[in-house]
Amino acid sequence: MSQSHSVARRYFLKTTAAGIALAAAGIAPRRARAQAETIRIGFPVPLTGPFGTEAKDQVAAAEIAVKEFNDAGGLGGRRAELLVRDDKLNPGEAATRTQELIEKDKVHFVVGSLSAAVQLSVNAVTKARGVIFVSISQSDAINEAKDWSKYTFHEALNPHMTAGAVGRYAFPKFGKRVVFLTADYAYGHEMVRGFQRAGQPLGVETLADLRHPLGTTDYSPFLPRIQALKPDLLILSNFGKDQVNSIKQATDFGLKKTTRLVAPVLLYTARLGGGPEAFEGVVGGTSYYWRLEEKVPSARAFNDKFRAAQGGAVPSDYGALGYAGVRSVLTAAKGAGSTDPEKVITTLRALKYDWYKGAQYYRGCDHQAVQSVLIIESKKAGAMKNPQDVFDIVHIDPPDESTLRSCQELGHKA
Amino acid sequence: MSALRTALGRVVALCGPHRVAVMIVFFVVFPWLMPYKALAINVLILGLFAVGFNIVFGYTGLLSFGHAAFFGLGAYGCGIAIARYGLPWPLALGAGVLLAGVGAVLIGGLSIRRRGIYFAMVTLALAQLVYYIFYQAEPITGGENGLRGVDVRTIALGPVALDFLAPTVKYYFVLVFVSLALWCLSRVLESPFGAVLEAIRENETRARACGFDVDGTKLAAFVLSGLFCGLAGGLKAMHLSIVPTEVLHYQTSGLVVIMALLGGMGTFFGPFVGAAVFLLIEDQVSLVTAQWQLVAGSLFMVFVLFFPNGIWGSLLQWVGRAP
Repeated sequence: MSQSHSVARRYFLKTTAAGIALAAAGIAPRRARAQAETIRIGFPVPLTGPFGTEAKDQVAAAEIAVKEFNDAGGLGGRRAELLVRDDKLNPGEAATRTQELIEKDKVHFVVGSLSAAVQLSVNAVTKARGVIFVSISQSDAINEAKDWSKYTFHEALNPHMTAGAVGRYAFPKFGKRVVFLTADYAYGHEMVRGFQRAGQPLGVETLADLRHPLGTTDYSPFLPRIQALKPDLLILSNFGKDQVNSIKQATDFGLKKTTRLVAPVLLYTARLGGGPEAFEGVVGGTSYYWRLEEKVPSARAFNDKFRAAQGGAVPSDYGALGYAGVRSVLTAAKGAGSTDPEKVITTLRALKYDWYKGAQYYRGCDHQAVQSVLIIESKKAGAMKNPQDVFDIVHIDPPDESTLRSCQELGHKA
Repeated sequence: MSALRTALGRVVALCGPHRVAVMIVFFVVFPWLMPYKALAINVLILGLFAVGFNIVFGYTGLLSFGHAAFFGLGAYGCGIAIARYGLPWPLALGAGVLLAGVGAVLIGGLSIRRRGIYFAMVTLALAQLVYYIFYQAEPITGGENGLRGVDVRTIALGPVALDFLAPTVKYYFVLVFVSLALWCLSRVLESPFGAVLEAIRENETRARACGFDVDGTKLAAFVLSGLFCGLAGGLKAMHLSIVPTEVLHYQTSGLVVIMALLGGMGTFFGPFVGAAVFLLIEDQVSLVTAQWQLVAGSLFMVFVLFFPNGIWGSLLQWVGRAP
């Protein structure tokens, strides 16, 4: 009896000890893992769809920022990881993917998007869940108090800044009689509004604002009317393929003889696709063009890293934004010593940075990145030194808060 | 193989009378079979959309190419009620369903006078009309930027406030509505009205000769279908917390046709199978390659060519039960 009792007791002791040891072993690695937990950055971009080339460039550039961070030792040993998701240029898909990134993958930050509607939908999801989102594509609405939250940062230019800078350069130089050819959606409307605001003090006259549906391929109905109006400037507030098609057809029609063509955003990839003949002499704005490296050392450093990683290719305008957005959050996390959103927001707000294009900072009231706007002109085929040498930087509009809409106008209190 | 077939046949026969209950049990464990919950919620919502569409397509035999209109009207109705008028979610969801119902009365009233390809074209044209109205009405709908501010964070149930941002809570919230809708639909299909629908699908002239009000029944089916799609749309708005203009786009109309055909038209569970398979392919394949549509399209062609009854319909046929 006593023997069996002692056996049971010994058995009990043994199993308890084993149990405790097991439990301890179970807890210990988990705690160790929590300390070295990777910093996950969700990156929804439209890999499928018409902006696939830009999206791939954004991913490539963002990966450089991640690698840089990891090579420098990360955040006290915590490495960063980029979780790329295809948002298919569809706001509904983007909202679902962002929920996945936050709920399943437990990302610490979201950076990405390449469409006004998509960034607003990602923003709706992240702000409800208190996750920092750095948008890298153009929109005016995201700055407005209605959509904005303290978790929202806007690394890209917005239409108001871009159109304003291009207008201030183009109106005094080329003339005041203007016709707009505008893609009929938020982006186009916001650009036109930006040009008109910049043109008002200069006495610019809008002869006509012609609207075409998104994805129009035939612009011939508009061209005779534009020619009859004899404007000094034709401003093409459209994007991607629409821009290529409308510029090509306007050139073929002979509009360039009397009129200067201007685009608020002149895309590097659109110019490569459209060819030098059609784009010759077209003036526009951009957030970045690789030849900025002739003037700005950080641009050279970034281009060299990109060339090394991508076999000599140079980063495009939207691609570079992927680098800047990711580098900002990672730098801020390092500065805060944590991925806690409140702490990272504080460091992001205080950040004065020069990642790739000169000095920048996020404005206090709406977290808009205050930055320079480059004015570029498309080169003649004969003047190009190599296939990547497509634009001349003719002017740099310096970073200045007064070129943004005021905080009060956007509905912010401060 | 044949033993498996008979066994499966018996299971299906046993489940048949309790199909709604069996489906609900399946959906309770379903989120754990999916890669993540937001996708499971999308399957429920688009499955319900396809079920609604199946009422006119699979049971009545009318191919509509404009069902995005009802899905979108439900989404915008619910979304605008919350974002612009600050209504509580039950009223907003009701408003979405109601708006979709009104839309279905108007579009159905105009289109059911035609058959076949003409019916499809009329529904497509009218749905595009709805799309452009909502696309242009920027102050109310947000236009191309989409409607933001459909912000439902907690669901108050008496003294308990459920956290609607928690994916599991949201899934079961949506499941409650999907279950209720399925139960209603099951009762409707078993009623004499349901039998008339199938009679019209099989032979419209004979149904008319038997003294049934064919036009009235078609319109009733169309409106019922619109209400189900509207409910799915309203749930979508709450799920995403935005309403993108894509909900009204004709591609959404095409998507629901693909889902219904892939799963099995005229079967009760098929639309959910179609939605789940399509969304899973889209989700998983697009992680690997940007050419995911190639895979989805090939699968769709295989089923249309070799298994016209769809995944679920073919399975039912294989175990010896006509779909």
